[in-house]
Amino acid sequence: MKEIIKLILKYHFTIIFILLEIVSFSLIIRHNEYQRAIFSESAATLFGNISSTITSIKDYFRLKEMNESLAKENILLKNRLEKYELSRDTIIHGTIIQDSIPVYEYIGAKQVNATYNRTKNYITLNRGRKSGLQKEMAVCTPEGIVGLIQDLSDHFAVVIPLINVDARISAKIKKNNYYGSLQWDGNDYSYSYLNDIPYHVEVNAGDTIVTSGLSKIFPEGIVVGYVESVDKETANFLKIKVKLAVDFKRINHVYVILNNNKNEQTSLEAINYYE
Amino acid sequence: MNNISYFIHLLILSLLQIVIVDNIHLGSYFYLNIYILALYILPYKMKGIPLLLSGFFLGLVMDLADNTVGIHAAASTFIVYIRPRLLQLTSTREEIDDTHGGQGLTDVRWFLKYTFVSTLLFNVVLILTEAFTFNDILISIIRIILSTFISMLFMLLYYFIGIKKV
Repeated sequence: MKEIIKLILKYHFTIIFILLEIVSFSLIIRHNEYQRAIFSESAATLFGNISSTITSIKDYFRLKEMNESLAKENILLKNRLEKYELSRDTIIHGTIIQDSIPVYEYIGAKQVNATYNRTKNYITLNRGRKSGLQKEMAVCTPEGIVGLIQDLSDHFAVVIPLINVDARISAKIKKNNYYGSLQWDGNDYSYSYLNDIPYHVEVNAGDTIVTSGLSKIFPEGIVVGYVESVDKETANFLKIKVKLAVDFKRINHVYVILNNNKNEQTSLEAINYYE
Repeated sequence: MNNISYFIHLLILSLLQIVIVDNIHLGSYFYLNIYILALYILPYKMKGIPLLLSGFFLGLVMDLADNTVGIHAAASTFIVYIRPRLLQLTSTREEIDDTHGGQGLTDVRWFLKYTFVSTLLFNVVLILTEAFTFNDILISIIRIILSTFISMLFMLLYYFIGIKKV
């Protein structure tokens, strides 16, 4: 330790010189368009490589967890399949017409970039228009919903997650179907707030909040989070603090949900609702 | 040269740079900077952190005036960083021992030597930082040479009018 301090004292002139140069160059890059363009061009290449290496290393350490979560979901899906087969068997001689296209389709994607400590957070996925993604598609993980697609390029998609103050989604309390709008306050990435629930509704901590299915974007019944606490903020409505089911700091693989009937529903409603 | 006259020189040089020289447009090959003379005539005894900070902040002020945030600061910090070594190289031992820096300024030959090397290095850093790339290095080199030349010319003018007689 003494040696280190001695070394610093000996070379303090050079060290401070280097620090001042770093300050200068960061100022240059911050405030001068031209230098910033050159810098970000080469930095993007460099950091792109570094971050993809880091991501692949991180992925390796999280394999176990991912496996568990996949296995869990497998079980869930198997159970669901079982249920459907059962019901198909029972109505095999009925006259129900099966729709040839499923209503919802799932597209797997991987997160390549994300923020979680701003008020307007965004997530970037490695799938884009070429994989069949479109604007306003829902994005979720096995734990719950993440957000919806805001913008796309051919190979990437930008997701506006629940933890963005601009994101509002329609959610309901699972046990009694009262629905309200979920909006983030820009503070803690693990909590959001469910507004517009009437005063008389009984809500307890631990209740499950799911998507309402009213927005056409999210299928009904995907977990959003769990009630953390309930505040009687205004005279008529409750303010419900929701612990989000998804840990936004640890998202890796996501599903993008494609609603095949969305256009049909939208156009029908457009004709009848807004005449 | 005492402290008061040093500050007057600093003030005049800065104002000259901001008010007049920054508004002289000689084409993109001539980058005229005379304010660095204020760093050359700093007392010998000024060393270490104060020296570095004075270079940095003078450059930063020029940046703010010239709307090139950081470029001048990087270059002027660089020339105050090399200043102690450069002084050692260009002066004899006795001159360094003379703690009152102003006296060395009366020696024109020494002043030319020191100022030329320092200005050249200043322009190398300044122009390469401004270009921010090693493409078109030939153009950058021409700019460095011409800018050094024109800056030297103006600084010598100031030196003979303002400093030599003091």
